[in-house]
Formats: sequence, structure tokens, C-alpha cells
Amino acid sequence: MLSMIAVACGGSTEEVVEEVAVEDEHDHESTLEQVQERGFLKCGVSTGATGFTEVADDGSYSGFDVDYCYAVAAAVFGDYSKVEFKQLTAAERFTALSAGEIDVLIRNTTWTQSRDTELGNDFGPTTYYDGQQLMGRKADGLSESSTLADIDGLRVCTNAGTTTEKNITEGAGLVGATIELVTVEAFSEAIDKFIAGECDIVTTDGSGLVGRRAVNDALNDWAIFPASPISKEPLGPTYRSNDSQWADIVNWTVYATIIADEYGVTRANIDSFDYEAAPEMGRLFGKNDGELQTKMGLSADAYYNVVKQIGNYDEIFSRNLNPLGLYREGSYNDYWNNGGLVYAPPAR
Amino acid sequence: MVDVIKKNIKSVQESLFSSVGSSVLTIATSYLVLNFFRGMFGFIMSSDKDWLAVLNNMQLYMVQAYPESDFIRVWISVGLTFVFSGISIGLWRSEDRSNISVIFDRFFKVGLGLLFFTIVAPTFTSYMGNDGSVITEEVFSRSTRLGILIPTLIGTVGFLVLKNVKINFSYNNSDVVFLYLFIPVVLIWFVKLPVIQLDENRDRIMPDPLMPIANTTKIPWSVIFVLFLLSYFIGIYFKDVKRLKNIMSISWFLLPLLIFSWIFKKPVIEMNEVLTGDIPIFVIFFVVGLLVVLFINNPIVKKYYSIYLGVVLVGTLAGVFISIPMLAKACLLLLSLFSMVVPAVSTSTQGKRSLIIIWLVALVTLTFLLRGGASETGIIVPGSSIFGGFSLTWLLAIFGTYVSFPLGVMLALGRNSKLPIVRIICTGIIELVRSVPYITWLFFASVTLAVFLPAGVEFNLIVRVLMVTAFFSGAYFAENIRGGLQSIPKGQYEAADAIGMSPFQKTGLIVLPQALRAVIPTLVSSAITAFKDSSLVTIIGLFDFLTIGKTVIDNQSVPVNFVGHQRENLIFVAAVYWIFTFTLSRRSMKVEKRLGLGER
Repeated sequence: MLSMIAVACGGSTEEVVEEVAVEDEHDHESTLEQVQERGFLKCGVSTGATGFTEVADDGSYSGFDVDYCYAVAAAVFGDYSKVEFKQLTAAERFTALSAGEIDVLIRNTTWTQSRDTELGNDFGPTTYYDGQQLMGRKADGLSESSTLADIDGLRVCTNAGTTTEKNITEGAGLVGATIELVTVEAFSEAIDKFIAGECDIVTTDGSGLVGRRAVNDALNDWAIFPASPISKEPLGPTYRSNDSQWADIVNWTVYATIIADEYGVTRANIDSFDYEAAPEMGRLFGKNDGELQTKMGLSADAYYNVVKQIGNYDEIFSRNLNPLGLYREGSYNDYWNNGGLVYAPPAR
Repeated sequence: MVDVIKKNIKSVQESLFSSVGSSVLTIATSYLVLNFFRGMFGFIMSSDKDWLAVLNNMQLYMVQAYPESDFIRVWISVGLTFVFSGISIGLWRSEDRSNISVIFDRFFKVGLGLLFFTIVAPTFTSYMGNDGSVITEEVFSRSTRLGILIPTLIGTVGFLVLKNVKINFSYNNSDVVFLYLFIPVVLIWFVKLPVIQLDENRDRIMPDPLMPIANTTKIPWSVIFVLFLLSYFIGIYFKDVKRLKNIMSISWFLLPLLIFSWIFKKPVIEMNEVLTGDIPIFVIFFVVGLLVVLFINNPIVKKYYSIYLGVVLVGTLAGVFISIPMLAKACLLLLSLFSMVVPAVSTSTQGKRSLIIIWLVALVTLTFLLRGGASETGIIVPGSSIFGGFSLTWLLAIFGTYVSFPLGVMLALGRNSKLPIVRIICTGIIELVRSVPYITWLFFASVTLAVFLPAGVEFNLIVRVLMVTAFFSGAYFAENIRGGLQSIPKGQYEAADAIGMSPFQKTGLIVLPQALRAVIPTLVSSAITAFKDSSLVTIIGLFDFLTIGKTVIDNQSVPVNFVGHQRENLIFVAAVYWIFTFTLSRRSMKVEKRLGLGER
């Protein structure tokens, strides 16, 4: 009995002691050094976002955001699997980042001015351009060309305490539409209410709406509008301020996937690709001296490993989001010279 | 036969339709309950529900990302629990016997219930279509209904006849557990369940084909059942060995620690640390304990006993704050507790011998468990923790109780202390912790605690949650125990003083045993509450049992597509919680009965 008490007390505090000792040494190290010494990357992801962070029945992770976690690990270690995921709720994500519990936050987080300037975070390049839209039933007379003015007098379901809620109130107020706002805790509840007929409209980021419409097989029944979203939601990686080495590593991991996409380098053709004809790709993949990467504190072939193991932007996108009915063509996420916003600075 | 029916009709009349008012109440309530059942049945059967969202994710629910290659460790953990249960049921086998007609009666009642619900179950159910129209579908056709009704009717009548035939066969009440467990174990060998199969485009083949249950599920459960049965017979065989019962009680406390620190965790043991750290500490503390036992009642040494005790106590407290090995801290705590008990017991050679054995066993256990607990895990998990799903729920519930119970005892004693400072601190902690809702404490653990801690200090979120849980349930335990302390007559304290007991002996040997015994029912209900409350961690994003049902499965898109099937999972989660808490509370009622509570 006595030993039980002692063990029980011990069980919960022993980790504490070890970690204190370890962290003290780490205090003045850069994020990269911490990550390398630890041997794995701590990546903050969502507790669940269809297509972006999913946990399969065997506990394995997949999704668009998850793939970028894997990509950063591949850049740092040359092995994508050296990553530990921390599922974070919307409320804790920034605290977890600033407290050092995670090295990078890739959790469909919208880049806003206040989050960038006030919270001690910096945002990396946007990986997915999202925007808030509304979804209603075609049977109620709504169509893809409907506008905010058409929702006058309707019941709108959304999740509480997010920018989504503020955007719709603000937007409806501007066009003079009076709406009855029904707020619930999570988007899944909002859509359940919408299906059960307890509200006429459901609103959240466009990717979420398109995804749900596809899996519910309701392409002909539900309309998503307005065509240009009522808000801008650029989603991308977030890291702590004042560590530009780490920021560069994360940023260029994203850029590397985009540049590889520009040149059409995929996981399949990466080894047969003609690097003589594309010197930029050669530089990025460390085919000559790889000085660009080694100066960043990475190995010369860091970004080769990223594309080899995870794939280029288009592969990551289509693998995770095409099955949900989200396509790049015609969206902001298309390649920059196809009219989209996906663009990377040159590697030289 | 006719008499029986008449008697039943009469009793129904008396209890349900005794007056106009009660008749109205009976009808109104039956109507509500019936409609609830019909709604529930329609919900479960409706074709827009995908129950494979539950079935397909059993592994995720139970152990989350625990690697399949190490599943043997999970089975060993479950198996050990069953073996322990088997031995315990055997050791404490009840002597009550019942006639076989009791079983027939039970089956008869189940049959009656099944008949009733088969008759009232709705034929049609409706749900909302995508376009907002109501879709009505047949979920319980006449042929299915008859297919269930006829065999059930035959069975029910059969059991009715059997229970009224005088068969001179009685069985032991403890044995019947095995009959009830035998039924599902046999069933898993014959039942076929729908399984997700993908075609070449990685789309689900619908309708899902029926497949027998996988061998990786069937065989372990069958082996565990056989072991359970064997250990039951072992328990019966050693039924009269009194000491075994004591050992078993202590083992029950140690079992979860063993499972969590060694079996489930697969610690990587570094022999270097064992040789240079564990063994010297073990030897030093064993020798100190040995000397205390042997010489404490020597008149010359005894004068310095209080000084020695003071040094050990201060050392224990100081050990919390200074950086010494974890094992040394735990041993100091153990030594201080041990030293309090020693003087009263080590008066005879017999007492000394058993004290030394106890000290040795306790130290070995402590060293062994701490080595496992403090070592790195050898399990490679593609997530954040080897604990997830049900294993995390158990970890939170069990460790929450283990840490908070002693904390509660100390807080309760402190609140009753004569020393003002101790009393004020303990009262302060209790009142502070109890006045804030548990959810707020959880947010504190997840969001705020990290900011309060000095720079560089970082706890795992699970550890932080365990910390606030320990204090939270500790405060409630403390108030329960305080109730028990107040129930002890003043004469008990005075008697202890009169025979010259020290304050420690008075508390440890007279007050606490009586106080704790008096509050066992409330302690059990607190433990059950702790088990259920562990599900609240879902709001801070820990992957416990509920989180998986609520947010994880709902997001699985390709290729299984369980998006939007949250409610099926929530019903399943509720059912599992119900089964466990119901079993726990039934067991605790039996324990209370055995201890003779409420019969004084």
C-alpha cells in the first residue's frame, strides 16, 4: 500500500524532473538545434479536419497539413517519419506554440494581422487559400449564383467563437439581410442541424463545405455561394517569431514543393528527371554542391528528400483534397501562371 | 399455472393502476418510453447510419496508434486483469447457492422483453434527405419480425415451463459469471460482421460483405477466457489460505502500475543506470530500514527516535525540491511512512521478521516499478503518446485516483489538524480547488499552466492534466474522508491517548482505518466519477475514448468515408461508459456488503 502511494506519486513527476534538466540546456538553442538534438519534429495539427488532418483506424495520420509536417521532417532529418503530432484545439494552438510544446503549427490556421503581430508568431507561405462561403438547399431556391442578400430571413448555422461567426454577421449586416444565427460548438454539429432541417444555411470555410457536399453525395441538392468567398482565409504553417533560420527551413520546404510542381518533378520521375536542363531544380535538390541548403543548416539533398518522400505541391493537394471534390483548377490554389496564387520565389 | 398469472395480474393492478391518477401516470409514461424506444430503434436501423464507423475503428478506440506488432502487450495486460479477477472471484467465492430456476427465470424475462420490443418496434423510419424532403423506409419488415418473434416466443414459453418445473439442481452464485461470459466467447466464433472491402478504385464495395471475426480477435479472447476459468479454479483451490487474500488485495493495487510501467510501456532498460543508480539506493535504504527495525526499541536508541523521524521527514520534503534520483525521493517517502509504523510493531522477534519481509518486498516492488516508469518506452508510435483511446481513459482514471486518494487523506488530516498553519493551508487548497469547475482546471492545465511555469520547464500535457486531476479529485476525496473522520467518537482518540500511542500511531492505526471504512461508498462513487470525468479531456484535445468518437472518426474521409457519422460513435461511447460504470458500481455494492457496511 505504502509503495503504491510512492509509485503513484513518482509516476507522474518523474517525467517532470527529466524534462526540466533537458530543457535547461536547450534554453538558448535555436529551434533547429533543439529539433535535431531531440531526433524528431513536434508538429501541431488539428484534432480533426477532413482532408487536412485525419487519423485512420490504425492510428496513422494523413491529410494536407499532416503531409507538410512530414515534409518539414523530411527536410530536417531526411526521414519523413521522424515527427510527433500534437493534436491541438483552436483555443490552445498558439499557447502550445509559444510555450515550445511544438516546433511548427500546421493546423489550418488563418493568417491574420493580429495573430501575426500580437501573438509572437510568424506565418509561413500560404499552402491553401480558403475563403468562407455559405451552403443552402437548391430546393429552397438557392443556387451557386445566390448572394448574401438572398439569405434574408433564413436560419444560419455556424460554429461559435470563430471568425466565421463574425464574418457572416458582418456580411449580412452590410447587405441589410436579417438572419437568425444558430451557433453550435463544432462544424459537424452545424452540418447535422442543416441536414435535419433545423437551419436553412450552413457557413464555414469553402473547403469544408465542398468536402461535406461531396461525401454526402449532395452535388445536385446543395448549392455553395457566393462565388467569391465572403472572407479571405489563407492557411499555412506558423512558427515562433525571431528564429529566422527555422522560418527559412519551413518556408523553403513549402516553396520546394511548389517549385518542384512548376518543373513537373514528382515522386515518380524525381530520379529520372533531367537536372542539366533545369539548373534551378538542380540547385534546390543539391545536385552540385548544395551550398544553398547547407548554409541553412540542412543537408544538401534536404529538399530532394522532401519531394522524393512526400511529393510536390500538386501531388500533396490531389492526394488529400481531390477525393473530397476540391480541385485546383480555377481556384486560388492553382499554379500562378494559370491564374492562381500559388507562387514561389526562385531558388538561386 | 393459472394461479401464477392471476397473481401477476393482481400485482400489476396494485402497483400501476391503483387509482385514476396512477393509471394516467402509467399510461403517459409508457407512451413516452415506447416512443423513445421506437425513435431510438428507427435511428439505429435507418439506412443513413453507418455502424461500420464504430466497428471499423475498434483498434483506434482501444489503443489509438499502438503498433500492431506489440499488440501482445495489450493482450497480456487484459489477460492479467482477467486472471486476477478469476483468482479473486475464486478466493472470495460466495457460498450462496441458487436453484437453476433462477437462471430460467432470468432468461424468461429477457425473452419477454425481447418479445415486447419486437412487437412494438416500428416498421418504418424516416430521415431527412439532402434536398430537405423526408425519406421513409422500411427498416423492420414483417418477415424479419416474424423471424425473430417465433423463435423468441418458443424460447420464452420454454423457459416459462422450465422455471416452473421443480428441478432439483442448484448452482453457486459465483459460477454463473462464467456462463454469461461463455455465451459471447462462443458467439465470436460464429458471428459474421460486415467488413469494409475496397474495390480496385479504392472505393467501398457496398453493401459491405459479411466476414467472420478475425483470428487476431477470436483467439486472444478465447485464450483469456480459458485462463480466466483456470485462475478461478486456482482461486477456489486456495480459498482457505487467508494470507493469499491479503496478497491478492495488494496485488490489485499494484497490477495497474505494473501494466502501465512495464507491460504496456515496454521500457528500454539501461543496465548502467540500474547498476549505478538503482542498486546502491536500494541497498542503502534497505540497510537503514533494517537497522530501524532491529534497534528502534533499544532503550538508548529510542531516545533519538523523534530526531531520526524528523530528519527523515525533512529529507522527504526537501527531496521534492532538490535534484536527486526519483527512486531516492520515493524511497525517502516510503522510509518515513515505514518509520512511523515500526516502533509499535517491532516489539517481538515475530514482528521484526515480518517487518523486514514487508520492507524488502516494498522496496523491491518500488525499485522495479519505478525503473519501468522512468525508462524510455521502446514502443514506436506515429503519434504523440503510446496512450490513446481507452488506454488513456484508464490511465487518467487510475492514476488520477491513485495520486488523489493519498493526497485527499493528507488534506483531510491536515484540515483536522491542531496546527493553525497546516489547517489554513489545507483548507485553502481544498476550498480553492473545489470552488472552480473541473473544466476550468483542465483549461488551466492545457493553456495557462505552461505560461506560469518557469522558462524552459515543460510538462507533457497528460502529466499536466494528471496534476490538476489529482488536486481536483483529491479535494473531493478530502471532504469525503473528513466526513468519515468526524464520525469517529471522541472516546476512540482518548483511548488511543490513554494507552500511550503517538499521534502517528493514533492516526494510522485507530482513526484512519475506521474513518475510511465508514466512507467506502462515497469513495467508490468518487472513483467512478473520476473515471467518467476523464472524458472531459476531450475539450483540450487529448485523444481519449470520447475524443476519438467525437472528432476523429467523424473526419475519416478516404477511402472509408465516415464523415458525418458522429452520432453512431457517440451512442457507442455512451454504451461503453455505461457498461463499465455499471459493472464498477455493482462490484462496489458487493464489496460493501462483504465489509458489512450499513449492518452495524
